[in-house]
Amino acid sequence: MKVKGFLKDVTGASRVTNARRKLIESGSPENNYRDHIREVADELHPKATRIVVTKVEDVSPTARRFTFEATDGDKLPPFQAGQYASLDLEINGTLTTRPYSISSAPFEARTGEHPFFQLTIRNGRPETGFAANWLYANLKEGDKLTAHLPFGEFHFEPLRDSKHVVAPAGGSGITPFYAMAKEIEHGTLDMDLTILYGSVSTKDIILEQQLKAIQSDRVKFVNVISGDEEYDGEKGFLSRDLIKKYSAEDTTYFVCGPLPMYHFVKGELEALHVPARRIRMEVFGAPRDVTAAEGYPKDFEPKKFKLTVLRGIQKDVIEADSREPLTVALERAGIKNNSRCRSGACGFCRTKLVSGDVFVPAEGDGRRRADKQFGYVHACSTWPLSDCTIRIPIL
Amino acid sequence: MAFYKDNYDVIVIGGALAGMSCAMRLASEGKSVLVLERHNLPGGVATSFVRSGIEMEATLHEMMSLGPVEDPLYIRKYLDEMKVAIDWLRVPEAYELYSPEDNIDIELHAGRRSDGTWVCADEIEAQYPGTRAEVNRLLELCLSVYNSTLFLNEHSLSKLQMLLKHEALVKTAGYSAKEVLDTAFVLPEPVKKILSAYWIYVGQPLSTLPFTIYSFLMADYMMGGSYVARGFSHEMAMAMQNRCEELGVQFEYCQNVEKILVKDGHVYGVRTSRGDEIHARYVASAPYPNTVYGKMIEPQSEVPAQARKYANAMPMSVTNFSVVLLLDKKPEDLNIRSYSVFSSEVPFDTDVFWAQGKKLGNWSYLTTICLNYANPDAVPEGMTSLSITNLPLPEAFAEVNADNYYEMKRTIAKQMIDTVSKRLGVNLLDHVQEIEVESPMTIARYTGMYQGGIYGYQHSMVNSVVGRLEDVEREQYIKGLVGCASHQLVGDGMACNINNGKIASKMILEEMKKEAAAK
Repeated sequence: MKVKGFLKDVTGASRVTNARRKLIESGSPENNYRDHIREVADELHPKATRIVVTKVEDVSPTARRFTFEATDGDKLPPFQAGQYASLDLEINGTLTTRPYSISSAPFEARTGEHPFFQLTIRNGRPETGFAANWLYANLKEGDKLTAHLPFGEFHFEPLRDSKHVVAPAGGSGITPFYAMAKEIEHGTLDMDLTILYGSVSTKDIILEQQLKAIQSDRVKFVNVISGDEEYDGEKGFLSRDLIKKYSAEDTTYFVCGPLPMYHFVKGELEALHVPARRIRMEVFGAPRDVTAAEGYPKDFEPKKFKLTVLRGIQKDVIEADSREPLTVALERAGIKNNSRCRSGACGFCRTKLVSGDVFVPAEGDGRRRADKQFGYVHACSTWPLSDCTIRIPIL
Repeated sequence: MAFYKDNYDVIVIGGALAGMSCAMRLASEGKSVLVLERHNLPGGVATSFVRSGIEMEATLHEMMSLGPVEDPLYIRKYLDEMKVAIDWLRVPEAYELYSPEDNIDIELHAGRRSDGTWVCADEIEAQYPGTRAEVNRLLELCLSVYNSTLFLNEHSLSKLQMLLKHEALVKTAGYSAKEVLDTAFVLPEPVKKILSAYWIYVGQPLSTLPFTIYSFLMADYMMGGSYVARGFSHEMAMAMQNRCEELGVQFEYCQNVEKILVKDGHVYGVRTSRGDEIHARYVASAPYPNTVYGKMIEPQSEVPAQARKYANAMPMSVTNFSVVLLLDKKPEDLNIRSYSVFSSEVPFDTDVFWAQGKKLGNWSYLTTICLNYANPDAVPEGMTSLSITNLPLPEAFAEVNADNYYEMKRTIAKQMIDTVSKRLGVNLLDHVQEIEVESPMTIARYTGMYQGGIYGYQHSMVNSVVGRLEDVEREQYIKGLVGCASHQLVGDGMACNINNGKIASKMILEEMKKEAAAK
């Protein structure tokens, strides 16, 4: 065997070894460490951002808008209109998190002397909006919190979506669309947006003045009132006829609102033969009554169970309620646990189920195939059906 | 509350393929091992993600070094030995190379017959008559180098024995792939191009790619073919993670190691961002030497000047830019016919492609992977799972910042989609159901890897694997600390990283023996 000649061939290994030694010798003995790509990645996705409330204002009889700025040397990351922030909260000894769509525009978080973002939070019914009600009632100027942002896939994607967007919205589901509308007005989001905002009565409309103020040839804001025959405007539900009336030939639909509205609008869009890729749904939270979910064992009586929690070599035994997801059991016990979307989708609360029976609703099961195979669950959308043992990260 | 034991034999930083391979091997030898992984998933970039309930592969997905069950290659043997069970599916073809400027459009398949002839030599012969004998001779040479490389992975030999028993390896070690192809073989230019398509799997142009590495790639892929896991790369990661735990490894997610603690030139533990100080006399590190010496070693006075020279001199290899698509039509309806297509819009020239990788966008050499053809059950009925990848150098992203990031991603993704659309004669943008774009920043976000590097340091003629092997001991600048990722000896790739982890475990076990003997 010969490449160039015996001597040159057999000395090749020494040649490359020496070349490499020379290369290393040429290196500077100083500490020149710098990682630009990591720095950008950290700015885009900070682990946590410390924030302070700088303004509180009412934007409807039942909703408040909170303005936050970064504090203690932190900086707000860029985000895309429609994404959400997750707040770390401590309410009456319970450590919990809540995701809220950001209602301000992305440019506002990155420009001006006081970059900020806003969350608009509605005072819900007492039994349903535990954290929202608490925030609505208690959060005031100067309060400090820890936020995690940005998260979520619910944003306009020019490489996928039609530029003509119709947005059926309900309740506080209006908030991501206000962010989009503001960004369009600012000239930094290239899409046309028609918001179809379904409410029972005009009293329920959030951010009405703000939305009306930024209407333009690119942003349309249509209230649809279901509970007032006298209303001078669109009446009834977000029906297929109404949706069709405001649609262009090729339209992408962004849907955000309470769970019953999702099911209704989804059915209406399917009746209009809208292709799946033209429908974007925001995640809708865990079901309030899991026993009503499809596949839940029949006649299963509510029970308290023992939940054994493994963290490293540490073992804790806490109580879990069959009516609450595992995440809530951990939170009630004051055990730190990552959760972001609280809808089963994002996977932050990925947890190893070591033993025990659980129920995971098919709707919103965002698990990977191999995770199902190896017994992993997303704790925010997993309900115990027996005593269980789980392994979670040390936080 | 104690989450950790007082002491471990070994702490592995990073639960990716190399880290898990290292951990399970050490645990199988009875060592107490702690793996600290910063993300909440194992596998590093060998993972998957879910969008709107649909799982998608996160990585350029093709596992080498397995070979068929009846004729296993070294990684299949190793995984079997470690009792890691993965449901592998064979990728039907090796690759399709499409380079219209060269009139190249060919699909090759893996396979070597016992008489030393290769399936792809016949396929090339059919289009380029009279080349079969030379292609067979080239692949036989590659195989010979490959076998020697694997032998030396496990044994060491004197120089004379090397020359006697491993002549092909020794005599080609000093040359680039281009030099050997040009000097020792008579092949028409298009055939050389066809046989260079895998360059992207090391990210090094043929002019500076050691023939040793070229041989390894060609022999391994063309003999053993390639595989994907039925449950995506995440199945592979989970199977290994699960095996680690079965073997008694303590495996902790969401633990970012900030400091590696060193005293008198020897490692004694780590400290996490949470503030846990955990002790071990051995640490296997996925973080690159740049990061380790640059900011992790505590105190910094323990970093020898030679280690800094090493980190500063090592040339970074490529990173990743991928567009991951879910399309709302079947592959046939989009004119997509193969699992793995390499395509070039300009005359095929790896030096040109390499130079393009130093700049942002307008990349000519793209790798398109259609998962349907290897794992049809993994894709919803009537849809196509497609990724388009280029591997640029980190320096291309020097001007990218947090404010222009999203626009940069979309601009380049659109270019890449348009390029592939043009080739297919179908506008893929009309069929996008889900899209994710992975950049070096994405890699850095999830893995923390230096400069978003996925391939370690360049496999170039001045940083040859032959030189790496020769100097492996003198480059252990801090006792008890070994590298355990693609910056290790063997370099990049999923199989190679499993091997890197195995090598790291071997180095640790040997060092432990030496230290025990010294006592």
